[in-house]
Amino acid sequence: MSTDDDGRSGDEYEVTVALHGAIAAFVGLLVTIVWAATGAGYFWPVWVWFGVLLTVVVHALGRRGVDVLEGRMRPLSFHVEVTVFLVAVELVVWALSGGGYFWPIWPLTALGALLGVHALIVNRQLLPSLRERELTERVDVLTRTRRGALDVQAAELRRIERDLHDGAQARLVALSMQLGRAEERLEDRPEVAELVRQARGEAGAAIKELRDLARGIAPPVLADRGLVAAVEALGQRSAVPVEVDARIARRLPPVVETAAYFVVAEALTNVAKHAPSASARVTLAERDDTLVVEVADDGPGGAAETPRAPGASATGLNGLRNRVEALDGQLRVTSPEGVGTAIRAELPCGL
Amino acid sequence: MRVVIAEDNALLREGLVALLREREIEVVAQAEDGEGLLRIVEGHKPDLAIVDVRLPPSFTDEGVRAAIEARRRHPELAILILSQYVEPVYTSELLASGDGGIGYLLKERVGEVRTFVDALERVAGGGTALDREVVAELVRGRHESERGGALGGLTPREREALELMAEGKTNAAIARAMVVTPGAVEKHVSNIFAKLDLPATDDDHRRVLAVLAFLGAGEA
Repeated sequence: MSTDDDGRSGDEYEVTVALHGAIAAFVGLLVTIVWAATGAGYFWPVWVWFGVLLTVVVHALGRRGVDVLEGRMRPLSFHVEVTVFLVAVELVVWALSGGGYFWPIWPLTALGALLGVHALIVNRQLLPSLRERELTERVDVLTRTRRGALDVQAAELRRIERDLHDGAQARLVALSMQLGRAEERLEDRPEVAELVRQARGEAGAAIKELRDLARGIAPPVLADRGLVAAVEALGQRSAVPVEVDARIARRLPPVVETAAYFVVAEALTNVAKHAPSASARVTLAERDDTLVVEVADDGPGGAAETPRAPGASATGLNGLRNRVEALDGQLRVTSPEGVGTAIRAELPCGL
Repeated sequence: MRVVIAEDNALLREGLVALLREREIEVVAQAEDGEGLLRIVEGHKPDLAIVDVRLPPSFTDEGVRAAIEARRRHPELAILILSQYVEPVYTSELLASGDGGIGYLLKERVGEVRTFVDALERVAGGGTALDREVVAELVRGRHESERGGALGGLTPREREALELMAEGKTNAAIARAMVVTPGAVEKHVSNIFAKLDLPATDDDHRRVLAVLAFLGAGEA
């Protein structure tokens, strides 16, 4: 049954119902004349009127009546309509046949019982639907709060990086300067100067460790210049030739920029490792509020992603997948033999 | 040598000033942000500016931007960038801002006082001083297919000599690092100059040009 009820088809429907009504009226008139011509008597045409009118009512209710409700409630509403109709018919028949013993009580009871059973069944089916609604709401809330948590986490990590830079790192640098100055003044005591030099070496090692830590959180150029500049820097630094095609005009949320950055970094590392003689192409584009990141190489292909073992630490591609999926994104790896490997991540940018 | 310093961290700024004064390098003015740097360069006309990458108010790459702007206004100004991290993008931008007189060192190198002061003097004299980690990062991005041209014609030993030259090392220092005689280094260096087709002007300038050719290759 068609449910597209635009104005025109609705009008056409009403015209056919009106035509039907006119024919019914004509038939009713005709039988009344026949009744009069055959000498009146028992007014049987009332039954003809009834029968013909019934067809008109069915026609008029027909489509409109059934289209009232959609979804799970539809069969039940149809059932209700049919029941009401049958009840009306029985009552009219009872009235037309001159009242008396109220026999319709039996079919009415049966129809009522049938409708009751149907309603019970539908109600049971509707229960999971309520639960479904609750779950949908819950998922919405979780999606929002998870994204919020990730944003907070990204902001926190950047704050930690900044604090490291201005705090511990700066103090260690100052320490290293002072040790350097001390070393200069100990020229006449080389064994002490050597001790100081070693101390400076330790300070230098600590500075380097902190620097590597900070870079692992988010490379400064990403915060300073944004995703495109950071990805171009990755391309320049890569051991394979990299072409970058970036079409992003705005700064994206930090958590998205960071995820996209690490996708490209990891993918380029993989290219350098597994296809050192290949060249790579990085594409960044924003489509419908989704950042699409693709890193494709023209290497040998045939790369197999190791399945994620439960409880295993998230490294490499699996780590990337976790990062991307946490943002409701998708990560796909295609690596046909002899064609090359492509890693594609889609990251929703907004909520 | 007259030097200005732009560094927002008081601890580091004071340490740096004390260290330079001990080496009898005159620190004529200090600034805490990019605007301040431009002001003191304008006011004091120093030979060299020592600039921290991260400066207020943005705490991103304010220092690099200010240094490039200062250099645009005063092309003779030598610039030594000090940073807590290696960022080749900034190095490339700085190198593009002029012909030499550029340095980019990690802050902890200041502790190697003699090497640091050598680097300062070299940069003030129009040379380059790039941190070995900066060079390593830049070199990592250079590969046969991309390098192409004249640089592709260098032997591995010549490339190694050029990398060391990029750090600002003298021939003697390069010889020590490569464990060869100074004569062998001179031969490498003259081969590099010939292969890069650099004009026979003064040696220092050719070194700078060779390093620029090396670091500039393959830049987007």
